[in-house]
Amino acid sequence: MAPSLIGLLPFGLVCGVGAQSAGASPGEALGMSALIFSGAAQILACQLMAAKAPLTVTILTCFVIGLRFLMYSAAMAPYMKPLPERWRHAVAFLLTDQAFAAAVRRFRDSGDTRNGASYALGTGVLLWATWQVSCTVGYWVGNVIPGAWSLEFVVPLCFLALLVPALEDGPTRVAALAAGIAVVALDSLPMRLSLICAGLVGIAAGLIAEARQRGG
Amino acid sequence: MSSAYGWWIVIVVVGLLNYLSRLSFIAVFAKVEMPPLVAKALRFVPAAMLMAIVVPAVVFSSPGALAFSYTNPKIVAALAAAAVAWYTRNAVATMTLGMATLWIVQWMR
Repeated sequence: MAPSLIGLLPFGLVCGVGAQSAGASPGEALGMSALIFSGAAQILACQLMAAKAPLTVTILTCFVIGLRFLMYSAAMAPYMKPLPERWRHAVAFLLTDQAFAAAVRRFRDSGDTRNGASYALGTGVLLWATWQVSCTVGYWVGNVIPGAWSLEFVVPLCFLALLVPALEDGPTRVAALAAGIAVVALDSLPMRLSLICAGLVGIAAGLIAEARQRGG
Repeated sequence: MSSAYGWWIVIVVVGLLNYLSRLSFIAVFAKVEMPPLVAKALRFVPAAMLMAIVVPAVVFSSPGALAFSYTNPKIVAALAAAAVAWYTRNAVATMTLGMATLWIVQWMR
């Protein structure tokens, strides 16, 4: 949990700097981090708004990059089923890459859904609060951090730390390998469709690998 | 064509679309039984999606410019960080050593 928070700080700083340099007002910057609550979508929105792209293009691109939430939602669904509806809506609003990775591992380790669900909700609230603070700090003072420090590289490192424990057996490794190759091969697709397509390729490869393993 | 409300239109619409994406299957599978193939496929979501997020941030030196070579400091740093993650399962150590490697390799070139 704590590591995700540490990874979030530089990510939020980068998003805050992006909002500031794209010309968002302080209120708009805060609205973005509070309601969109997705670093990837926020950075894209800032780039496209700064480039004066049509609003429909900006909205559509941010929507496509958020399609991965459909998969996270499906993967969380079995654990959310016994919960009251209000809880499910709250966990959904707070669902991010980090919260998803942390919660799924937690659910799998402890069979106790109630315990797992409060963990998911608590994690989500903590990540959301941290995100508001780091984006706001980035907006006001982020540009004093020298670019040569490449602080934004903490973001993929944080995801890497979440990825490695997910490589638990042969088929999951095949899934990751296929997704990694696909995301580079499909990079020229418009609107960052490469991300969701590579995810689907990886999942298909994992299923095939699992079927073959069982077959022979 | 960004009007005075351009930012707020983007914020509210994308915020709403993101929320609906996040809620989608949590809501659906609360009422409908999950098909067995979907249930089997979900196990691969973390491995596939996290890899698809990590790889572009490491192998592209700038958007669209593939830098798949040992002279790309980010690849060296990511491999070092992956090794740390594999052996320690410690995220703070992974990020710290990954950043340290990046700075050392950048400084050496």
